[in-house]
Amino acid sequence: MAKEIGKDKFGSFYTGGKVRSRREWRGVKDTLYDYSRWLYIMAQLGKFMVKPRNVKGFFRYRWMSNYLAVPMMVDRFSQGLRGPQLRILHEEFDIIVYDVAKLLDGLFRGDRHLGNDKAYSDKVVLLDENEMTTFMMGFPTLKGLSRETPAAYVSVLLNQHAAERYIDVAQEFGLAGDVCPMPETEAGISIADDFPVLGACAVQCNTTCDGSLLGNGVISKRLELEEGIPCFQLGTPLRHREDDVQEYAANEMKACIKFIEEHTGEKWDWKYYFECMHRVNIATRSRQEWLDMNKTDYPQVVGGNLALYTETNYMAISGKVDLFRKADEKITKIARKAWEDKVMVAKEYRHRAIIWGVQSHFYMDFLVWILNCWGIVPLTDMLSMINTRIFAETDTPENREQAYYDMAWLNENMIMRNRTHGGYKVLLDELWEFCEEFNADMVILWEHMACKALDGMHGQFEEKAREKGIHLIWVNHDLFDPRITSRQGVRDQVNQYMRTVLREEPLDPSLEILDDDKSW
Amino acid sequence: MRDLKHLYELEKLLLNVSNDYISAAQQEGKLCIGTVCDNVPEPLLNLPGCFSIRLRAPRTGSMEIGTYYMTNFLCEYTRALLERAIEGGFNFLDALIAPDGCSMLNRCVENMELLKTMKKDHFFNEFMEIPMKADDNGLFLYKLQCTNHILKPLKEHFAIDISDDAMRQAVKEHNRVCDLIQEIGQFRKADNPVITGYEFHILTLATYVMPKRDIIPILEETLEELKTREPDEKSPWKVRVEFVGSEVDDSDIIKAIEECGAYVCADRFCYGSFPGRTRIEMSDDEDPLTAICRKYMYDCQCARMMNKDKILGRRQYVADLAKEYKADGIIYEQMKFCDPWAYERMVGTVVLRQDYGYPVLSVDRPYANGGSGQMRTRVQAFVESIEIKKLAKDR
Repeated sequence: MAKEIGKDKFGSFYTGGKVRSRREWRGVKDTLYDYSRWLYIMAQLGKFMVKPRNVKGFFRYRWMSNYLAVPMMVDRFSQGLRGPQLRILHEEFDIIVYDVAKLLDGLFRGDRHLGNDKAYSDKVVLLDENEMTTFMMGFPTLKGLSRETPAAYVSVLLNQHAAERYIDVAQEFGLAGDVCPMPETEAGISIADDFPVLGACAVQCNTTCDGSLLGNGVISKRLELEEGIPCFQLGTPLRHREDDVQEYAANEMKACIKFIEEHTGEKWDWKYYFECMHRVNIATRSRQEWLDMNKTDYPQVVGGNLALYTETNYMAISGKVDLFRKADEKITKIARKAWEDKVMVAKEYRHRAIIWGVQSHFYMDFLVWILNCWGIVPLTDMLSMINTRIFAETDTPENREQAYYDMAWLNENMIMRNRTHGGYKVLLDELWEFCEEFNADMVILWEHMACKALDGMHGQFEEKAREKGIHLIWVNHDLFDPRITSRQGVRDQVNQYMRTVLREEPLDPSLEILDDDKSW
Repeated sequence: MRDLKHLYELEKLLLNVSNDYISAAQQEGKLCIGTVCDNVPEPLLNLPGCFSIRLRAPRTGSMEIGTYYMTNFLCEYTRALLERAIEGGFNFLDALIAPDGCSMLNRCVENMELLKTMKKDHFFNEFMEIPMKADDNGLFLYKLQCTNHILKPLKEHFAIDISDDAMRQAVKEHNRVCDLIQEIGQFRKADNPVITGYEFHILTLATYVMPKRDIIPILEETLEELKTREPDEKSPWKVRVEFVGSEVDDSDIIKAIEECGAYVCADRFCYGSFPGRTRIEMSDDEDPLTAICRKYMYDCQCARMMNKDKILGRRQYVADLAKEYKADGIIYEQMKFCDPWAYERMVGTVVLRQDYGYPVLSVDRPYANGGSGQMRTRVQAFVESIEIKKLAKDR
């Protein structure tokens, strides 16, 4: 047990079972702090479980059992972190856990299978999982709830095997096995009738990809035709950098808001919208400041601390929760101080890497692994390279009209799709610009095998990386399904490159091969 | 039955991407505008001075270079097109207009652009945004995209006349082709039809890959020929099927199905006659661009269209065709690795079976599939299952 970063042999923590042998010793101060946050998480879970309907939820929904792994997930993401990075992580995870618990509580409260609170359900708008929630920024009294987030997205973060059952359900129903397993899982949950049923209406979108778009068709069939919940399909242009699609996108936003008003009886509130947009701008400025620090020799908000929080805050929150503003400000303060003090995130930095492509969802803590095992600093990732615009936040007639364009812009620039769609420039050309800006010598390219938009540029990535002299490590995976490529399979691809091409030895050799196939 | 006069010539023509009709038209100074998807309105590429062709890669063998650039997880159609482009197979094109229809086609054409596969100095690429919903806002977008990415570039690069009169002329020619194909297609409704599904597909396919003015006389002559063509004394078909799904430019697959005793009486796929060869209704009160875009948007049966009316409408369309053309069963197909049709095939199969009561065979397939024994086995089993159902019903 060691206080200093890099002294522990993290590989020895793995037992071959679901949980690890012990929690990490980080020195007295950091361990006590870490333990206090562990207690906080247990308190959140306890508070959630006090309500009988939530206990029922554990038995009604198969995916709920994954939530037993929440403390373990936080431990996985915090491996090796000390001082400011540990505090940044807990700032983020505290509110993410709180937010997901609140989301689950809301879903079960209105769920026809459980709480069946009709008055509450009538104020719920169901949201797609991969959807910017900007169109909810003017509805303070409505609840925008995503069923897919806790059932599919968070479940796989908690337990790598969480989606397998639903992938199999979809394929048994006749779905081809070569589609993206994310919408496939969501379709499988719907087919298996394993979603809570509630809401006055639902808004679906095409923001992710062809698979996600079509998966929504399966879900809307059940929602609209069987459960009587009207769905709006929000059409979002694919070529989002083009001027000639913006008016269409703004019109879609207007139609979406009108649809919600009609089905909930609520009216759009401009005051609340501009408040939310003010918070969106704070989040953008904060993120930009963190990224600016990461361009220097002393990056501070890196890896999972950047990726997971950005996804949540940018897409699911979109300025609607003030707690996230407070967290943004606190994280910035911690990071700024750490940067001034020239704090190192790991014992040694060997490579500065941009993480590109669509990350393996069942192994999001891979970013901590590359840092601890090989000294590769994940400076930023594709999903964090999102909007940089600052939007109007004062209520004027002109700004109200502009607001539809701003919301549409954010919607078009949802995480991931702002890079996987919109022409090759945003995916390919801008990567090399970021390499230069961040002074990166390496790109770790997640190749999600079912992501057609990404795979379609494979050869171009290869050729350009060679031309620019950047180390390009392909990491192949199947997003939600570790049966196709396991976590060790993911690690092996990095290990092989590091050993055979770069002829390097790992910083922590115990992490090179891990027995974590069954691990949460 | 006696062979159709033009069949052999068309079969031969379809073995290559380019053909004598394209060369002749280009020698006259006409420009060849390629596209890769049904979502690009064809009449706008057939304005006076230019003509359209839909790209295909017949006789595809190796796709190794296409696979290197796009991995083996993208559908073979897109890999085959890229491979053919790299080989120089599309060098005769003067422009290529691609829609951001599906990610794979988009990436395919983007790779062509990055690799500069087309060599003519004046060659240009354009990418269009196509609405995913059929409504007024979608129509607004469609028109804007056609103006900015087809009409203006054609005018600026090649001084093509993009006036309303020019568009009306192109639609008139387009409608003539559609009317002829539809009239020929009517023969498929007979119990003992005078045209096979394979022959019909050859004729339809040819309309996509050669100048319209050249195919019209061939179709006219074939129509007359069919009016007097004697069918075989006894119908060779055991059952009638509707063939539904994504891109099919390999007529051998239709042939293989028919060799198993299943007559392909209706075709609902890209490169087929529904909805690709149904006429565009024009009126004097409306500008032709609006009429063209409306037709393409509301009649589009592509799985990427996401609004509820479209989703439900696609299955109704298949059921209506099956009823009209007296299909005993439906074959839902998708090209392997096609995301949109993977989902559409799954749901369509269930809905057509459960809600409409049709026997459905659900298959995925590679791009060029004609000789596939696996496909034949599955169709044979499907034919037998329908026959058994028929026998049980008769009893």
